[in-house]
Amino acid sequence: MAGIQPQKPERDGFLPIRTNGFDRGFISAVILILVHLLWMRFLEGVLPLWVATVLCLALSVFIIRKG
Amino acid sequence: MRQSNIGWLFLTPATLILFVVGFIPFIYILYVGFFDWNTNAVDPTLRWAGLQNYRNLVFDTTFLNSLARTLVFAFFVVVSELLLGYVLARALMADRLWGRQFFRTIHTLPIVVAPIAVGATWRLLCVPGFGIVPYYLKLWFGIDYNISTNAYHAFGTAIIMDLWHWTPFVTLSLMAGLTALPKEPLEQAQIDGGNKLQIFWYVIVPMLKPVLLTTVFIRLMDALRSVDEIWMLTKGGPAEATRFIGLHIWINVFPKTDYGYGAAMSLLTLYVTIVLSWLLFVAMTGRKGGAQ
Repeated sequence: MAGIQPQKPERDGFLPIRTNGFDRGFISAVILILVHLLWMRFLEGVLPLWVATVLCLALSVFIIRKG
Repeated sequence: MRQSNIGWLFLTPATLILFVVGFIPFIYILYVGFFDWNTNAVDPTLRWAGLQNYRNLVFDTTFLNSLARTLVFAFFVVVSELLLGYVLARALMADRLWGRQFFRTIHTLPIVVAPIAVGATWRLLCVPGFGIVPYYLKLWFGIDYNISTNAYHAFGTAIIMDLWHWTPFVTLSLMAGLTALPKEPLEQAQIDGGNKLQIFWYVIVPMLKPVLLTTVFIRLMDALRSVDEIWMLTKGGPAEATRFIGLHIWINVFPKTDYGYGAAMSLLTLYVTIVLSWLLFVAMTGRKGGAQ
């Protein structure tokens, strides 16, 4: 049994599903890409794209820590 | 520790192959997506474009329509194939069905036909003025069926063609899953007085979930990248009625040689596929939080 790796711990955060570290990283990446695409489509004329990047990175940290 | 090393040793060939044919091309596509690269342009070299390809993408109505059309197509084919596949699987497992073995063989044949041959065959069947489908639809029902001019006919035919080609795969998968189900829970449910619908929904579906999940994933990913069948059947027409995303990318990358933009489109399609698959996985495995 030495070769069997233990499963990554899942936990309940503010996200509606039980997640492990990979899930939270994945959700952050998905949101980051989606927000950037939507920002380019609807908001880039008003606010520059780096604002979206900063917001998404902050949200990613929050999701990874508390999600 | 030693066992772990041996495990990695066995995994090395597969990992190397995956790295060469999967990871390196992915990184290359990611790289090309940030460049303006068209070999037919005045300057055929790679020119740094940053996020411009993605910026163009979100305003490209042809691309967005193709994506939406592909999602509708994928939804219809996956749901229909799952329902039809389940019914056929149950029928082919029934002991009373006469000629079961023969029908099982005949039914499985479409899987082995190459997609391009399927497209060509269906084109011959449906081509206006020549194919037997428009001829008999007109003769028997008075329907003026024309996949070259009617967008709904073309889209519907693309769905039926996909059903014909891939339902046998779903049937086989579900048959394998149903055959492997333990009999005891089903008998227990019958003894407890469950009707057929209750047994199906509360016993069979939960036990069949891994097979259903795998089958839906495979079919969803296939449906989202249909190219050759559609190309042979309609070439994406009439107008853009059957220009699915795979075909749209192909048209941009090969005839138009717009590699940078094609790479960006491919990556966005990959993104949509991964997100859809993940959402489906979460929904089907019921990974609920909080109250659980």
